[in-house]
Amino acid sequence: MGDQEPQPKQHRSYGIQTPGTKGVRGKKRYAMVVDLRKCIGCMSCSIACKTEYGLPLGVWRTWVKVMEKGSYPNTKRIFMPRLCNHCDYPVCVRNCPTQATYKHEEGFVLQRYNRCIGCRTCMVACPYNARHLLPEKRTDGNLPRMVVDKCTFCIHRVKKGVLPSCVQACVGGARIFGDMNDPESEVSRLLSTETVAVLKPELGTSPAVYYIGADWEIMDEPHSYTNRSVQNREEFNDFKRNHKGDAFADIVEGESLMAEVGKNWIGYLKTIPHKAKETLAAFKIFLFD
Amino acid sequence: MEESIVTYNAFHHVAWGTTISVYFWLVGASAGSFVISSFGWVFGIKRYKPLTMTASVTAIIMLLLVPFLLTWDLGKPVRFIYLLIPGYWHSTGPMAWGTLLICLYPMSMMVYSYFVIKSNQTFAKVFGIVAIVLALSTHWYTGVVMELNPGRFLNHTALAPLLFLTGAFISGIGLMNVIVWIRNMLLPEEKRFDWTLVYEMAQFMMYGIVFDIFLLFLDFMQTIYGSQNEVIGHGVVLMQVFRFPYLWLEMVIGLFIPLIILVTPLKRTKAGAIVASLLVAVGVYGMRIWWVMGGQYLQSFY
Repeated sequence: MGDQEPQPKQHRSYGIQTPGTKGVRGKKRYAMVVDLRKCIGCMSCSIACKTEYGLPLGVWRTWVKVMEKGSYPNTKRIFMPRLCNHCDYPVCVRNCPTQATYKHEEGFVLQRYNRCIGCRTCMVACPYNARHLLPEKRTDGNLPRMVVDKCTFCIHRVKKGVLPSCVQACVGGARIFGDMNDPESEVSRLLSTETVAVLKPELGTSPAVYYIGADWEIMDEPHSYTNRSVQNREEFNDFKRNHKGDAFADIVEGESLMAEVGKNWIGYLKTIPHKAKETLAAFKIFLFD
Repeated sequence: MEESIVTYNAFHHVAWGTTISVYFWLVGASAGSFVISSFGWVFGIKRYKPLTMTASVTAIIMLLLVPFLLTWDLGKPVRFIYLLIPGYWHSTGPMAWGTLLICLYPMSMMVYSYFVIKSNQTFAKVFGIVAIVLALSTHWYTGVVMELNPGRFLNHTALAPLLFLTGAFISGIGLMNVIVWIRNMLLPEEKRFDWTLVYEMAQFMMYGIVFDIFLLFLDFMQTIYGSQNEVIGHGVVLMQVFRFPYLWLEMVIGLFIPLIILVTPLKRTKAGAIVASLLVAVGVYGMRIWWVMGGQYLQSFY
C-alpha cells in the first residue's frame, strides 16, 4: 500500500466553467511570467497584439505602463506590461449574466462574442482593466462590434503549438509563456527559482500572470492616480473628451462634474439611433429571412 | 524617498454611467412609492387607502421606464432576451437575478392594483405582500450588483443594499409627497388628499433620513479606517472629484437640510414638508451618481 504511487485525483467535469487548475496533476495550466528586468519598453507586444486581432483605436488587449523614478541625474524608467491575468477565480466569469465569458480548464479566460450582450458587467468586475468594449464603427463591418473583448492568451496559436503573439514579438525575451503544471517548462522553472509578484493579490483572484522584479509603485492602484505626469493627465482628458458615447461615465478632470454627467447622458442618447437601426435589422431578418 | 511619476498608461473607460445611476434612482423611488401604496391594503392603515392607486401608478410608471433605459444601454439591445433564456441564464451572475426581478416586480404591482380597483381585500393583501417582497428585492439587487465587485473598493461593502433600500424608502416618500402636492393643486377641493397624510409621511421620511445618515457614517468609518485604496478613494474620489454629488447633493441638500426642516416646527407647514420631500428625492440621486460612477473612477487610471 505504502509503496504505491499516489494516483492523480479525478476531477469532476464542470463543462466549460471549470474550477482553477493551478497545481492540479494531469491538467495543463497555461501561465505567463513577465521578467521586468528584461523589458525595454519597446511596446512590440502591444503592436503585435493589435496586429494579430485587428484591434481598433482606443482599446488594448495588452499594453505597457511606464513610470519614471528618481531625481536628475539619477533617474530610471520602468515598465510593466499588462494584460488579462487569466485568473483561477475570475470575478468576470462569475458575474457575467449570459455565460458569455468562461473559464477554460487549461487556464484561459475566454469571451464568446455571440453570447455577449454588451452589458459591461465583466468590465466593472475585472480589477485589472483587462476588458474593453469594441466600438460601433470598425473598418471591417463583419468584425464584432459593441461586445466586450479581452486577451485570450492567443489560444488559437497555443493550440497549434505556437507562442502567443506578444510573447513571440518580445525582443528582450521578457514574456515567458507555458504550462505551469509541467515541472519541465520554463514558466515552472522561473516560478520555482525567482521571486515573483502578482497584481492585487489581496483580492484572491489567483492571477496567472507573474512578474519578476516588479516595482511596488507601478503595481499600486492609488499611486497610478496620484502620481501622474501632467502630459499623461492631459492625454487622458483628451481621450475622454473624444470618446463620449456608448454610455460610458468618463469624467474630464477639471470640468464641472454635473456638466460631464449631462454630456454622458447626451452621449447615451446619441447611441440610440444606431442601436435602433441594428434592432430593426435584426427583427427584419427574424421576420422575413 | 525618490520621486516617481506615471508617464504612460492605457486609457480606460468607466463602464457604467449616467444611465445606470438614473436606473438605480428610478427603481428606488418606485420601491419607496410602492411601500406607501401598500400601507392601506397590506398593513391595514386605512387612512392611507386613498393614496393607494396614486402611489401604485407612480411606482409602475417609474419602473416601466427602466427596461427602455437598460435595453438601450446594452451594446447589443436585441440580445436582452438572452437574459431570460435558460441556456444563457447564468445563476451566479447578479444581473441574471436582477432581470427576473425587474420583470416580475411590475407584473406583481399590476396584479395588486387590479385587485385594489376591484376592492378585493384578500387578494390585494396577498399580491401586495408578494409585490412588496419583489419591490424590496429589486432595489436590494441594485446594491448587490455593485457590491459584488471586490475590485471596486468603494462599492464592495455589505452596507450597499441597506444604503440603497434606505435611499429608496426616503426618495419614494419624498416623490409621493411632491406628487400629492401637485395633485392637490390641480384637483378640486373635494378630491384632494388630506394634508395630514403628507405630514405623517414626512415623519416616516425623517426616521429614514436618520437611519441613512447612520449608514453613511458607518460607510465613512469603513473607508477612512480601511485600506490605502479606500482612504484615497474617499479623500480623492469622493471629497474632490465627486464632491458635489457626495457632499453637497446627497449629504447637505438631500439629508441634513431636510432633517433640519423635519425636526423643527416647519415640518407642520405645507411648504416645509414639500421642500424637505423635494430635497430628499433630488438628493438621493446624488448618492446614485457617486456610488455608480465614483466607485469605478479610480481604477480607470490603473
